[in-house]
Amino acid sequence: MSKTSSLINFISKRTISLSAPLEGKRNFRKFPIPNKRGSRLHKKQQAGPNPELEVDRRGVRDTGYMLNGRFVKVPEMIPELIVPDLTNCELKPYVSYKAADVIQSEFTAQQLFDAVYSKKIVTDYKEGKLDQEGNPLEPSKEENLQPDEAVAAARRTGSDLL
Amino acid sequence: MRIFGYLAKKVGDLTVKYSNFPESYIKRSFEQVYWKNPTGYPQYPKAVVARKRFRFTTNRPWTGQFRQQNDRDVHRKKVFLEPVGEWSFFRGDRVEIMVGKDKGKQGIVSQVIQERNWVIVEGLNTHLRTVGKDKSFPGVVIQSEAPLLVTTGVKLVDPETLKPTEIEWRYTEEGDKVRVSKASSRIIPIPKASEETIDYKSKEVYIENEQKDTKADVIAKVTFAPKLNTFEMDIMEEMGIKEDRVPAKSYWY
Repeated sequence: MSKTSSLINFISKRTISLSAPLEGKRNFRKFPIPNKRGSRLHKKQQAGPNPELEVDRRGVRDTGYMLNGRFVKVPEMIPELIVPDLTNCELKPYVSYKAADVIQSEFTAQQLFDAVYSKKIVTDYKEGKLDQEGNPLEPSKEENLQPDEAVAAARRTGSDLL
Repeated sequence: MRIFGYLAKKVGDLTVKYSNFPESYIKRSFEQVYWKNPTGYPQYPKAVVARKRFRFTTNRPWTGQFRQQNDRDVHRKKVFLEPVGEWSFFRGDRVEIMVGKDKGKQGIVSQVIQERNWVIVEGLNTHLRTVGKDKSFPGVVIQSEAPLLVTTGVKLVDPETLKPTEIEWRYTEEGDKVRVSKASSRIIPIPKASEETIDYKSKEVYIENEQKDTKADVIAKVTFAPKLNTFEMDIMEEMGIKEDRVPAKSYWY
């Protein structure tokens, strides 16, 4: 909830309205009734391709799309939970109180860089396999990776984080 | 700002430690929310109608007895508390009683109730209580301890003179925070019994549940190897899931 919109609630609203929605607000202001309010015309527009207001889907994602009045299901849009095989997993739901508290620092981008690239850079430097600008003459797979390729690889999983 | 009123509403940190519950769980277990505006809609202000004042007693906040004592229609007089700066009474401490019929006697603290500035001393300051009384059964008389205020009711005992003394929190050369007796400048160590919680007397003697508790050596193993992979890419690699298609580019406006 944005700050301004919550402040608007404290300003007393005095309007003269003969329309049904405001009349109805008196009784239905204490709980939300998504997508049910308004005139028939308004609801018709909401159901169409160009809704006036955002359609409240109550946190549920679409699993397809409408095409010529028919719903087309897209299997890729349905979330699939992948559960790893836990037959030989030693971990159990809780941690014993006897175990010492582990305090760990955050894993930073610097540490990831060090783990992936630094060793190769050092060996290349010692063997003289760097050009004058410091770029490797025989780049490894990680060094060849371009930013857009990395994004594409991450998006290939179907994750919507990027 | 009325800071004491705000602090008085909170559950004491020793209570949280003793319960071994997350603080959010304790808060959730005793709060009474009668009405809350729906969240996530801009038209609703953040309004909550809930019980504001609770009567903390020897019943712990997450128990049913506490809920019963603070039932919706039960309203009791407000209890005024003297603010105690730094808490210095712990389970297992030797204290001398300064008031009541056991005045001058020394005993061991068996319970600490920070919400009311109370300690309960084992076997002292007691009264007789009849329990289980029925029409056909006369009941059983038991001795139960009454709580004592830490501000006036009890004082810590100096380990050297065995007399009640004021204490002071100080730092040692090593940087440890210790209680120091003002009478003899001796350190009063925090007893081992103060580590006790609902689940164990102390961490070392905790009896592990073979089915549910992960052992320390398994926990200490580092299985994470840094890689240029996201979590999902890692899982796909491990499970042998192949995917070549890249979702179409999306834009945010």
